[in-house]
Amino acid sequence: MDFALFANLAFNGLIEGAVIALPAVALTLVFGVMGFPNASTGDVMTAGAYAAQTGQIAMAGSIVAGVIVGSVASALLALVFYLCVFRFFQGRPSMYALVASIGLAFATRSTLTFFLGYDQRVFPIPLTRAFSFGPLRIVPSDLYILATSVGAIVLVFLLLYVTPLGRRMRAVADNPDLARSCGISSHRVLSAMWLIAGAVTGLGGILFGIKTVITPLMGWEALLPAFAAMILGGIGNPAGAIAGALTIGIAQELSTPFVGFTYKIGVGFAIMVLALVLRPSGLFNLSARVR
Amino acid sequence: MNGSQPLLATRDLTGGYGEIDILTGIEMTVAAREIVTIAGTNGSGKSTLAKAVMGFLPRTAGTIRFDGIDLLAQPAEKRLALGIAYVPQVANIFPSLSVEENLLVIENVADRRARLEAMYAHFPALKPLRRRRAGSLSGGERQQVAFARTLMPEPKLMVLDEPTAALSPAIVSKILALIRTLPEAGVAVLLVEQRAREALAISDRGYILDQGRIVLADTAAALLSDTRMAELYLGHGLTESDKAPS
Ligand SMILES: Nc1ncnc2c1ncn2[C@@H]1O[C@H](COP(=O)(O)OP(=O)(O)O)[C@@H](O)[C@H]1O
Ligand SMILES: [Mg+2]
Repeated sequence: MDFALFANLAFNGLIEGAVIALPAVALTLVFGVMGFPNASTGDVMTAGAYAAQTGQIAMAGSIVAGVIVGSVASALLALVFYLCVFRFFQGRPSMYALVASIGLAFATRSTLTFFLGYDQRVFPIPLTRAFSFGPLRIVPSDLYILATSVGAIVLVFLLLYVTPLGRRMRAVADNPDLARSCGISSHRVLSAMWLIAGAVTGLGGILFGIKTVITPLMGWEALLPAFAAMILGGIGNPAGAIAGALTIGIAQELSTPFVGFTYKIGVGFAIMVLALVLRPSGLFNLSARVR
Repeated sequence: MNGSQPLLATRDLTGGYGEIDILTGIEMTVAAREIVTIAGTNGSGKSTLAKAVMGFLPRTAGTIRFDGIDLLAQPAEKRLALGIAYVPQVANIFPSLSVEENLLVIENVADRRARLEAMYAHFPALKPLRRRRAGSLSGGERQQVAFARTLMPEPKLMVLDEPTAALSPAIVSKILALIRTLPEAGVAVLLVEQRAREALAISDRGYILDQGRIVLADTAAALLSDTRMAELYLGHGLTESDKAPS
């Protein structure tokens, strides 16, 4: 056993988990309120990453400006999807919205590749030297990624659990008709929810692009672990989705010495399936939600 | 009651969830500060009538007027601001919200903090539970949360759909006693109940529904002594085609 190797893999898994946690939270928010697994989430990540990279170059190389441009673009894209498509499937079997979201995923990807091609892109960020911290070799950009993800998640939680808008969102998720009879306009609340989910999703794509590279398939490939994280965490439970993402990220990385790089995604799924067999309501679903 | 305009009035109200009319030709009024019972067997359309008033029935014809406003032209979320609060038959609270959040969901209130304290004074059992998830409460406690929430905005009309269903007898009489006090606070009540006797005992007037039609309409006292009530509740019905209710 090489402790340093595993410590570094675990740390890398933590960063990957923190990135996947963002789309996983978006998936679980949308599922909690709209009741369907939104398969367009992955490609909204991709769109956010491309928008951020384009924005960064347009804004004289400022990565902060790029992050803002990318998050706003993906927020608007998700809102457009809701207003033009998902809105009309409310109250219908969730299969309709799921199929529509798969269609939007393909449409988004095709549009991106039509205009931007298939070449991979990178964020123009200066390379920084890794430093040692105990057994860990840490790249500073990983710390920025981790801090950004944590910051975004804290913001989402504050919004959900401290603000009146968050209370309205949770009320609509619990019982949409009762929320309406309490004077809550579900249309406004849902629009806000889609903006937030889109921004968080896009940020996930941007961080993923900073950690690796931007490709047209990056989001679609990240969708599967994000789904696994959401399911592992107990659907509709944002804190569970984060715990699920960290579990899957770390487990995938730790498995690479044994199963190799190409099969690590399978490990995430094996964990999810195993956990669901043992605990069908999700590993982190402590508060057995009434739904 | 006193010859002035009723607060709520339906005219030839007909409607349903799909093609079939569940409600037919409903003519019903509720005056300000009046308690009106809607009774009838299971499946007679009581909840459907409440939903029509609240704007949740997919298909409606006829009119519902409230305070001079055409209710059917208003979306469901406008009812609260007009002064109509609703306790549905099932799912009458927000289970994942805390007790306090269940009350704070009502935002259209002048002094919300003061109103919240007034509700805790009115329902002292809720105060120690304020941080608890409402979904973890007992049936009686949930009903209190639902009442407190609907009283938060000081409504003119409360639409209560079987507020005593599935509660223990002691709590049923408490809830009915509470409803009885509402007119003094300026609130009219449209009380949907299967327990016709208990409901009529605290009501001014009542309507008996059968297969989506009003088959009896009278003062509560007259209905309580009407022999046809017993027949209806034994399942014989008043209309020829009446079969056992669904
Ligand atoms: N959501 C619904 N969709 C279709 N039919 C319904 C729905 N809810 C109730 N019904 C039908 O409407 C009729 C009246 O139901 P309801 O108003 O709930 O009766 P009550 O409240 O008097 O027991 C019943 O035949 C019932 O099957
Ligand atoms: Mg009913």
